[in-house]
Amino acid sequence: MTSIRALDTTIEVITPENISFDYQLAGPFRRLPAYLIDIVSRWCLIVLFVLPLYLSSLFFDIFTMRNLVTLPFFVAVTLLVYFVISWFYGTLMETYFNGRTIGKWITGIRVIEVDGRPITGRSALLRNLLRIADLAPMYAISNVAEGVPPIYMIPTGMVGLGTMMLTRRMQRLGDLAAGTMFVIDEKRWRIPVETVDDARVPALATYLPADLRISRSMARTLAVYVDRRGAMAPTRRREIARHLIDPILEKVGFRPEIDPDLMMYTLYYHAFLRTEVAVSDTQDQVDLGVLRGHSPLRTSSVVCKHDNDAMPVERSSHVKSEPSDIDPAKSLQVKSREERP
Amino acid sequence: MRIAKRMKDRQPQWEELERLCDAMELRGRTDKALGGSYSGAEGIQRFASLYRSACADLALADAYQLPPATVAYLHRLVARAHNQLYRANRVDFRSWIDVLFVEAPKRIFADPCVRVSAIVFFGLFCLSMYLAFHEQQFPGYAEAMAGQSALEQAEDSFEQPLNASLGHYIVMSGFYIQHNTGIGLRCFAWGILIIPCLYVLASNAIQLGAVFGYMARSETASGDHFFQFVTAHGPFELTAIALSAAAGLRLGIGLFYTSGLSRIDSVRVNASRAVPIMGASAMLFVLAAFTEGFLSPSPAPYVFKAFWAILSSGLISFYFVILGFHDQPTSDVPSGKAKEDWDAA
Repeated sequence: MTSIRALDTTIEVITPENISFDYQLAGPFRRLPAYLIDIVSRWCLIVLFVLPLYLSSLFFDIFTMRNLVTLPFFVAVTLLVYFVISWFYGTLMETYFNGRTIGKWITGIRVIEVDGRPITGRSALLRNLLRIADLAPMYAISNVAEGVPPIYMIPTGMVGLGTMMLTRRMQRLGDLAAGTMFVIDEKRWRIPVETVDDARVPALATYLPADLRISRSMARTLAVYVDRRGAMAPTRRREIARHLIDPILEKVGFRPEIDPDLMMYTLYYHAFLRTEVAVSDTQDQVDLGVLRGHSPLRTSSVVCKHDNDAMPVERSSHVKSEPSDIDPAKSLQVKSREERP
Repeated sequence: MRIAKRMKDRQPQWEELERLCDAMELRGRTDKALGGSYSGAEGIQRFASLYRSACADLALADAYQLPPATVAYLHRLVARAHNQLYRANRVDFRSWIDVLFVEAPKRIFADPCVRVSAIVFFGLFCLSMYLAFHEQQFPGYAEAMAGQSALEQAEDSFEQPLNASLGHYIVMSGFYIQHNTGIGLRCFAWGILIIPCLYVLASNAIQLGAVFGYMARSETASGDHFFQFVTAHGPFELTAIALSAAAGLRLGIGLFYTSGLSRIDSVRVNASRAVPIMGASAMLFVLAAFTEGFLSPSPAPYVFKAFWAILSSGLISFYFVILGFHDQPTSDVPSGKAKEDWDAA
């Protein structure tokens, strides 16, 4: 649709069903905690495997009254377990748990192929082996601390961080080679249900002409506006809404003093929430509330006594004090206008 | 139809799909979701049809004029269901046998990186061995390259004739698998940056060569024991080091020699080519570790060890040449019909 891609961290994936949907990409700030958790859980796993082995070898030696028969086996198996887990923890986890390790599961991210398919064994192997290169260059602790043997090195991860910044999908070198990317795997996401809590809105909506068409772009604008309006002060809402609302007021024949924010909300209600019921029913169901007796219509023959009060900008509920001069004939006139084809 | 009504109609299905996703994420099955009303094939069918209808909703979101927040929700729902429907394949060991015995030898045979790394490794190894052996012409070479303490340690540890218990063998083969294969894998990973890989390869070659040359001198007392030790596993081990570096170089070369692909695609294609070579190297490392653990330190006669070395060299040659030989060089561009698709894409 638009030729300019949105400047954010989503990536479009086209499924085999020929549907394109957006994935939220995960950047370094989500991936680092996952990696740190993985380091810890890797060591926990090694201990978890080795401890029962050690105990069973100990018991075996005690029961058979022999000294250290099984110890060599134990040491060899320990070395093998250490080797397999420290090198292939990520590979095995990602292939068995659909692109997730323990750290990724906790931080809610998942690794998939760049085309949206699940990760394959080969890609998982590559990206996990190449982590070493991504953690480069090593920084020797002995540079800053005296007396530390030069074997202790801290990986700075500059290579990985650099490539992550330079690539569109935020991939490190290993991801580039394996053709994988990280996506955020949101677990809970409730369906947003907008409800209108303002009693004036349904009432005002009944005055809108029934044939009022809301264009797609207008509908999108309305939804975004209603989504964001809670974060804005009333004066700001009015300022923003005015630009859009003024021509519409003209079009639907409402009086220009109507609060633009309220009008936006009403249009939103009209576009998204109003159920398809006969207008006459609506008139019965909707409690006109504060609007009772006031018509927002400019050209309507219903002439309001308190013109300036008709659609007060911020109106409190002083309904009772309003003169309730509903004339059946006048409401009919309003209806007839609404039932216009 | 009004949007509110449509959303009200669709919402139960979206929620049902979410519950199925929950169940799939936890157990990989749909049995426990929705009170067990769907299980097995029925559950998958239900899941798939719900997923397809969610896809359709998303595709029509614009036409339906759904609010952006709902569209965002649908994007996430579809992504989540997509992740469950198209799950990662478990590692298939049969396919890995195929990779190791069909794909890997062909790649190794055709890959110039293997030749480069073999020449670098064995060339430097032989040169270093020669320099270390002739102490008169090159005094202090072995000590400078391998380090005085390392040489003395090597000399000390082969003072006694080779003789060890079973327990020792087992521990040592475990250690060699862990240690040496680790070095190989590291060498491979550094390959993507090329220079560290070449450095590791060259330094290994030079140090090993220096130790070999030093031990081969007639005045070194424990030289005989040393060569008895290294003969059996030498072919496997040295080839494995060269191969892992070759796989690493293949990764790194992709960055520069893109052969018409974009740089990132080229890295990807080359990385995929490097994996079988690395797999073969890891296999050789493991074979070397078992030989090094069990046969090398045993008091078995030297003839037997030499025979094993010749046999293993023969096996490696068979693997590289007989299994690897093929008419046209392998490339990642498939032939025939598939090639047209590739070009079209």
